[in-house]
Amino acid sequence: MKLYKGKIRLIIKNYPYKYRDFSHIAAEASLAARDQGKFWEMHDLLLRKSPQLDRANLIRYAQELGLDVKRFTDSIDRMKHSSEIERDKKLAVDLDLYNTPTFFINGRKVIGNRPFDYFKEIIDEELKNAKR
Amino acid sequence: MQRDRKNDRRRLRLRSSILVLTLVLTLAFVPASYASHLEPFKSVPIPPANPQTPEKVELGKKLFFDRRLSGDGTMSCATCHNPEQAFTDGLDISLSYPTTKNWRNSPTLINVAFHKSFFYDGRASTLEDQALFPMMSAFEMNKNLAYLEEQIRVVPEYADSFRRVFGGDVTKERIAMAIAAFERTLISFDSPLDRYLTGDTSALSEGAAKGYRIFEGKGKCADCHNGVNLSDDRFYALNVPENPVLLNDPRVTATMRFVAKVYHYADYKNLKEDPGRFLITKKRADWKAFRTPTLREISKTAPYMHNGVFKTLDEVIDFFDEGGGSGNKVLRPLNLTPEEKKNLKTFLTEALTGKEIVIKYPEVP
Repeated sequence: MKLYKGKIRLIIKNYPYKYRDFSHIAAEASLAARDQGKFWEMHDLLLRKSPQLDRANLIRYAQELGLDVKRFTDSIDRMKHSSEIERDKKLAVDLDLYNTPTFFINGRKVIGNRPFDYFKEIIDEELKNAKR
Repeated sequence: MQRDRKNDRRRLRLRSSILVLTLVLTLAFVPASYASHLEPFKSVPIPPANPQTPEKVELGKKLFFDRRLSGDGTMSCATCHNPEQAFTDGLDISLSYPTTKNWRNSPTLINVAFHKSFFYDGRASTLEDQALFPMMSAFEMNKNLAYLEEQIRVVPEYADSFRRVFGGDVTKERIAMAIAAFERTLISFDSPLDRYLTGDTSALSEGAAKGYRIFEGKGKCADCHNGVNLSDDRFYALNVPENPVLLNDPRVTATMRFVAKVYHYADYKNLKEDPGRFLITKKRADWKAFRTPTLREISKTAPYMHNGVFKTLDEVIDFFDEGGGSGNKVLRPLNLTPEEKKNLKTFLTEALTGKEIVIKYPEVP
């Protein structure tokens, strides 16, 4: 994102894995952190700490990140963002998506973690196409 | 003309035989089934035990794209063998079952019909056997096959298809047979090399023609990459560098050690490198040996080697030019000039790319 500042936009959708115990609450946690301006910090922490993503650990991570823990806890306990998460899940199913992460770069589908250069090649092509 | 070409071929074979004798004397090792010439595509070998029929191929195609074949319903064969990526997934280490990690690269399925053994370590001897392995594998599709039979049998369209195609019930073996039949339709043909080998001398560009001569000669590529599929289907320990992910990602290490445990490798708990064919044969000579891959469609199947450690063909050519990995007993430095490397790459990228395989995606019942 730093390399392409002002040229590309990244939109993230939630797709918690259906068979994993804490995937839903982890999605809630990332959005609760977003409410306090720390989505990426929480996102990165969750990836590092996985699979320790139960409620107690999530609250500990909120503390680590200096979030308002009471507000954070209230958000995940009330599942404040469940409708947003469910909407994202429905979108994924409608698009016939099953694998995470899946990326769409101007409509070009890329499945799975990839090295940066893999994305760069596609992004550069799409930027070139957009200029035409 | 035809007779001249045949005579040329005979002379070439004779020269090749002399070359083999020379190599036996000078090198510690040479491939046993040396044949220095490449062959054009003519026909697909079909095993008598699994004859092709259009209906079987169509059934196999549906199963190939069916996510029922994975434990959690998220993966089909096409997940790691994506038609839009030359039937690979374009990753160094293949995609894996959710929450797990794979440990090897996903090979292309193009021309898989020509192979005599399957997987990089040759653990399966038929394409039908091969098809069942990833379904069962904990880190690939993680499916219980007895359960899969029931899931497929309760789908009326599938049950009817199995009756029509096989004259009987759904079994895991028949699922594999149908998938294998579909996979045998994924063929690289009508490439510039095919046209060149069948008499069209203008089929190769000047660079590709020079590269072809290096491929057959100084580059020694055809020592192992020969025949119609540009593979001798044998196993060589080239000591390809380990992909650092194997050591740095404990999930990948876990997968490697799990496979080693399944294959009764005594010290699996301390395993730190991919033992290759050794896991299957337990022969010391097979330690870190991997099967010669096809080079057909090579320009579309990066990254390369069993662990995807080389991202580009330039890296692969440099690896062979330098005589392979440290301590290997198979290869010697080639001392190719930059121009020769360039021509060799031109041959690989231009001459080995056939007609695009167009897949009409099936409606999975």
